[in-house]
Amino acid sequence: MPALSSSPINPTASASESTMTTKNVALLIHELQQLLPVTSVILSTESQRPFECDGLAVYQQLPLITVIPETVDHVQAILRLCHLYQVPLVPRGAGTGLCAGAMPHAQGVLLVMTKLNNILHINPNTATATVQPGVRNLALTEAVQDLGLYYAPDPSSQIACTIGGNVAENSGGVHCLKYGLTVNNVLQIKLITIDGQLMTLGGEGLDEPGMDLLSLFIGSEGLLGVVVEVKVKLLPKATRVQVLMAAYDSVTAAGDAVAALIGQGIIPAGLEMMDHLAINAAEEFVKVGYPIEAQALLICELDGTDAQVEEQLAVVSECFKEHGATRIRIAKDSEEAQALWQGRKAAFPAVGRISPDYYCMDGTIPRGKVGYVLTRIQELAQNYGLRVANVFHAGDGNLHPLILFDASIDGQLEQAELLGGDILTLCVDVGGTITGEHGVGLEKMPQMPYQFADAELAQFRRLKEAFDSDCLLNPGKGIPTLKYCQEYRSLQNG
Amino acid sequence: MGDLTQKLVAQIQHAYATKTALNIQAGNTKTSLGRHTSGEVIDVSEHAGVLSYNPTELVITARAGTKIKHLTKLLAQTQQRLPFEPPSFGGEATIGGTVAANQSGPSRPWFGSVKDSLLGLGLINGYGQAMQFGGQVMKNVAGFDVTRLQCGAMGGLGLITEVSIKLLPAFKLSRTLTFEMTAQTALDAMQHWSNLSLPITAMCHCKNTGQGLLYVRLQGGTSGVEDAQALLGGELLLPEQATIFWQALNEGTLIPRQDHQTLWRWSGASDAPIDRVPNTCMINWAGAQRWALEDTSNTLSQDLEQSICQYQGGNRLGEVNAGVSAPQKALQQRIKHAFDPHSILNAGRVYSWM
Repeated sequence: MPALSSSPINPTASASESTMTTKNVALLIHELQQLLPVTSVILSTESQRPFECDGLAVYQQLPLITVIPETVDHVQAILRLCHLYQVPLVPRGAGTGLCAGAMPHAQGVLLVMTKLNNILHINPNTATATVQPGVRNLALTEAVQDLGLYYAPDPSSQIACTIGGNVAENSGGVHCLKYGLTVNNVLQIKLITIDGQLMTLGGEGLDEPGMDLLSLFIGSEGLLGVVVEVKVKLLPKATRVQVLMAAYDSVTAAGDAVAALIGQGIIPAGLEMMDHLAINAAEEFVKVGYPIEAQALLICELDGTDAQVEEQLAVVSECFKEHGATRIRIAKDSEEAQALWQGRKAAFPAVGRISPDYYCMDGTIPRGKVGYVLTRIQELAQNYGLRVANVFHAGDGNLHPLILFDASIDGQLEQAELLGGDILTLCVDVGGTITGEHGVGLEKMPQMPYQFADAELAQFRRLKEAFDSDCLLNPGKGIPTLKYCQEYRSLQNG
Repeated sequence: MGDLTQKLVAQIQHAYATKTALNIQAGNTKTSLGRHTSGEVIDVSEHAGVLSYNPTELVITARAGTKIKHLTKLLAQTQQRLPFEPPSFGGEATIGGTVAANQSGPSRPWFGSVKDSLLGLGLINGYGQAMQFGGQVMKNVAGFDVTRLQCGAMGGLGLITEVSIKLLPAFKLSRTLTFEMTAQTALDAMQHWSNLSLPITAMCHCKNTGQGLLYVRLQGGTSGVEDAQALLGGELLLPEQATIFWQALNEGTLIPRQDHQTLWRWSGASDAPIDRVPNTCMINWAGAQRWALEDTSNTLSQDLEQSICQYQGGNRLGEVNAGVSAPQKALQQRIKHAFDPHSILNAGRVYSWM
């Protein structure tokens, strides 16, 4: 499990005051049971237990009611009921998110979208697909691969995560360096507003008049509405994919190589970095021949036509060499390419083998600051007496420091959290952001007032109210309340 | 040229206090787009200049009044480019206006629109508060995406003060091929070629002569472009002719519009049938953008179908964009209110009710 320990911290952090009366609860449950099949309304503690957290299991909370709708009409009716009875609602896909964005609300309904899992339409002419939100990311690529197409965003959880969840979090992945995030690959969505209205954002074409509501909605973490249909862009598969690996004796040298490569006009399909601790953990786990003495490893994927790839491969190899690569390995065939990727993909579970618990962070920084930030993270970690392994998307500066700790040792979890907070503020200090692809959720609330000024946070809140004036959708997540900000500022000044 | 943020903030705060309608203007190249509105001009043209540019980061940050032609020239020196190929409208268009009006060029289907390259921006809302959203890094999901929300809002949610844009390397080689064919054949060809992994960066069919010409632009590495040219065939256009053609297409001068005519722009699915837009005279974006020129008296103007906009000419005081559903209209009005409660910023530019 890519998460912390099982002990809940601050489980009521998001539970806002609810005005719902016992009578209202009884009425809501009665109406939901009338509306949905008997197995779709879950009330018992045991049956709701699997839904009490997302991929960040340290934050846990049982919902009041869990509902699993099967149709868009169900979703529409559920939202209307929540609006009528003024009950908080938390949407959830596969629950693979890493920021407690799908952690349930104690007085609320948890809306599980996984049964809306049909691929509605595939159009090979326009290279588009229309899917329901519960369709798994990888299932979509598998469904179109015979047409020579694929869906580009590929988060690490792509086997399990859903397209609806991807829309909520604006998910990225290894290949978003070249092909963009979810926001760059979605053409249209249908959503249900909190008062139960069906709305379409985006269109058939490549642009729409007026403000870009589609982009606003993508990455809004379930705070603005519930997505019920998504039309995505598909890409033609490249005729050739080439993977190579380069080893370095310092993270700074590897970071410089990345900046130089991008500066030379090469945008690889993927460009990943692992540090010494991660290399060793991965090698021990999957044994693919990574150089265990290296301080940093780059894995680079190039794609395109044969001619394009050959041209780029020459430039990349030369650039890596010039910046002090101690070893370069070019995959000879697809098996070797897969092996090189395997270590990277298995890095998180590999780190899980060398530490009882780990905490995955997600800041983004300017590429040129990679060396400095990684060095600074190690210094911070030493101060806390903790170890940090780094496995990340070097090409776009998206760091995933993995803080290793042991939750069974008193106080280590809290230390890990403090170190995590320091790492995120470090990212902001060098001109970056507290989250590149995992989202704010409940987890990164404390850092929001660090990244944003009060006027900006107030603007976010007014925007939220334009969609959801009663703040029923995923309350307590994503955007800090005014009270929260005031407390934060007084602590900083005090 | 310089930092006029404080002056702009003061102007908007004054307008907020006095409820005075403002008309945001910089290069003044987009008055023919959107609806005609009145308001006191707030001039952003002198708020110009590049704030930071580090080629290895592939990011540039510039004040809103910076001209597209200056950015293009600066980036060319380090073999980089603006991915969305914005029109410079005779050299006067600015980056702020380009973002607000969501102007992307012929390469749109392959390299995305403004929003796909936009990383962050500075914005003064209708209260006169200067704010920053997004940033200069490639991936950023903290807070709502207020940055991209501005694309196409025509300044109705705030005055853009600066923008940060993701860049791409310049192309090593560029070639344009032409094929004499009918619009229908061209539509089929565009669709077929789009789904191959080829270095195509623009495809446009014009009914200029005979049955018409399909223009296909290939750009990228040398061998990739040469291989694709060998595969596709066609007539090779001279480089200077090609440059003139794509620029004219981008700046909207390919279709000469008379005063009594309305230029219609349709944006929809690339595989829509050829008669989807009556009297199509040009097909761009591999079929996803179509243009028709009509006498303004023509009934099309009374029948604003979805996806069609009255791009230039005709009555600019009525609606020029296709309408939206009642719930979405109400939502857009609430969003407008969240940014600009007194409706002083470019009110009515996109819709009469916005």
